[in-house]
Amino acid sequence: MEAMIYAENLRKEFKKIIKEPGLKGAAKALFKPNKEIVTAVDDISFEVPAGEILGFIGPNGAGKSTVIKMLTGILTPTSGFCRINGKIPQEDRKNYVREIGVVFGQRTQLWWDLALRETYSVLKEIYQVPEEQFKKRMTFLNEVLELDSFITSPVRTLSLGQRMRADIAAALLHSPKVLFLDEPTIGLDVVVKENIRSAIRKINEEEGTTVILTTHDLADIELLCERIVMIDKGRKVFDGGLSELRHNFGDVRTLRFELVNGPDFKLLDYRRRFKLTDDDVSAERDGSSVTVRFDTAKVSVEEMISYTLSTVHVKDLNIKDVEIEEIIKKLYRREVSL
Amino acid sequence: MSRVKRFFRTYTPFTRAGMQEMVAYRANFLCFLIGEIMASFIMYFVWKAVFDSSGSETFMGFTMEDMVVYLFITFLAGYLTYSDGAFTVGEEIIDGSIAMRMIRPCSFEMCFLFQELGNRIISVSMIFVPIVAGVEIYRYVQAGEVRFQPIYFLLFLLSLVFAYMISFYFNVCYGFMAFFFKNLWGTTLIKETVVNFLSGAIVPLAFLPAGLANVLNFLPFASLSYTPVMIYMGMYSYSEIAWRMGLQIFWLLVMYGLSKLIWRSAVRHLSVQGG
Repeated sequence: MEAMIYAENLRKEFKKIIKEPGLKGAAKALFKPNKEIVTAVDDISFEVPAGEILGFIGPNGAGKSTVIKMLTGILTPTSGFCRINGKIPQEDRKNYVREIGVVFGQRTQLWWDLALRETYSVLKEIYQVPEEQFKKRMTFLNEVLELDSFITSPVRTLSLGQRMRADIAAALLHSPKVLFLDEPTIGLDVVVKENIRSAIRKINEEEGTTVILTTHDLADIELLCERIVMIDKGRKVFDGGLSELRHNFGDVRTLRFELVNGPDFKLLDYRRRFKLTDDDVSAERDGSSVTVRFDTAKVSVEEMISYTLSTVHVKDLNIKDVEIEEIIKKLYRREVSL
Repeated sequence: MSRVKRFFRTYTPFTRAGMQEMVAYRANFLCFLIGEIMASFIMYFVWKAVFDSSGSETFMGFTMEDMVVYLFITFLAGYLTYSDGAFTVGEEIIDGSIAMRMIRPCSFEMCFLFQELGNRIISVSMIFVPIVAGVEIYRYVQAGEVRFQPIYFLLFLLSLVFAYMISFYFNVCYGFMAFFFKNLWGTTLIKETVVNFLSGAIVPLAFLPAGLANVLNFLPFASLSYTPVMIYMGMYSYSEIAWRMGLQIFWLLVMYGLSKLIWRSAVRHLSVQGG
């Protein structure tokens, strides 16, 4: 069986007009625009099996949104193609979008001036959801996204968190097979984020919805995704599971020692002791504690602890789990060669 | 049959939403309306001065009574057939929210059309009857007899529907230009002025030099308001009405085809800006 989402050699180029600075430059651009071709997405291929939640990550401007826009049929790839749910989005947009749900965190598909409820009744007709099913669906969405308290308010009066929940509900009303979420947790507080994550998880588990999620919040990735695709400057730089990422790009661990006399970096010189560079180890003072982050490929946890214990008086010790964030930070900064 | 039913079930919610939207911004609409009516009165006084100073009862075949009917019915027709779908398409292309329309299983222009119809229904119900009644009362007082002719009135309504559809598709074509230009503000100003002149909304086409008037009469712009207004005024014979409406249908088909053509090419050029 073919994957639910299949993308092959996707490439998207944009024409960009380069303006020289100042009025003279503007005048020049008006008559003889200096065009440059920018490759936003460069030869990206991947697939997503049905029922999977795929995390799509990369720094700002990496081309994540452009890929999502091609997958959802909004943009036409310059070359390459994608097939989702057996359909090519650009060929038969109207039929294709019937079975997908899309949320762009920075935009809304809700009717700005109308009560939220009205948007749902418009969507009900557009997607031809039968009355019975619509009622059931609304009850379910109410339950997971807690829409009840603001469903009668005009959309323009909703808070960002409410609006995002409402938008996700709008994307799910017609029980899509694939859900595209472009930064669904952008700008939200911790409680709403958690609420949205559990809703996504619930939909995925109960209905087997395939989900593609882009985010800058790595907690979203760790809590939701089995697999991630990372892109940078339009190219795919990693495709695999989270454990694979940890394995390939070094296990960064964090140890936190609470010290009796406070940290003294003259005594505690991890760099010199283990002959490491700044990239492999960092020690930060935090009150009377010291937080050490290091790459377990270079130095073991055991060595680290025994060195610290033998050098200073330790009151308490805390070992944190591998932080994906650290790996990704390194990747974004291009410190890991691929 | 069921396809037609499905079509209307899909798009009527847009009409409903358009009506609700209109109600939400009723103060805005009222201000706009007052401004437009004031503009019509200014035109009335300008023409009154022209007639008074010409020294004769008629001017280029129009009496002052004809002129008043022309002015107010042109205003009505212009208002009813005005379509700002273009501006909306343009704005949405510029701010990228066009993306949110493309993820829905609907035809683009049908969403706009039905939403705009919702807007129109509210505004028409507010201004149509008062203006037509006002014009007819004026005519009755001036002429001392009822000038209202139901057949011409019905033909006028039909012609208005064609005019609206031409205006709608013309503006859709124009709005899609935002795919290429990325900004429509300046061109919109030019377009409005040119269309106003070419459609006879400022000066009746009959007042223009014969050669120019003949050309303009054939262009799609005359179909927008001049044709329906002349029908209302009873200036055309039945055979002329048939020929004018034929022309309206012709331009409607041309604009429709053109909009499809532009859309097909535009969608490949789409670069959703930002976000």
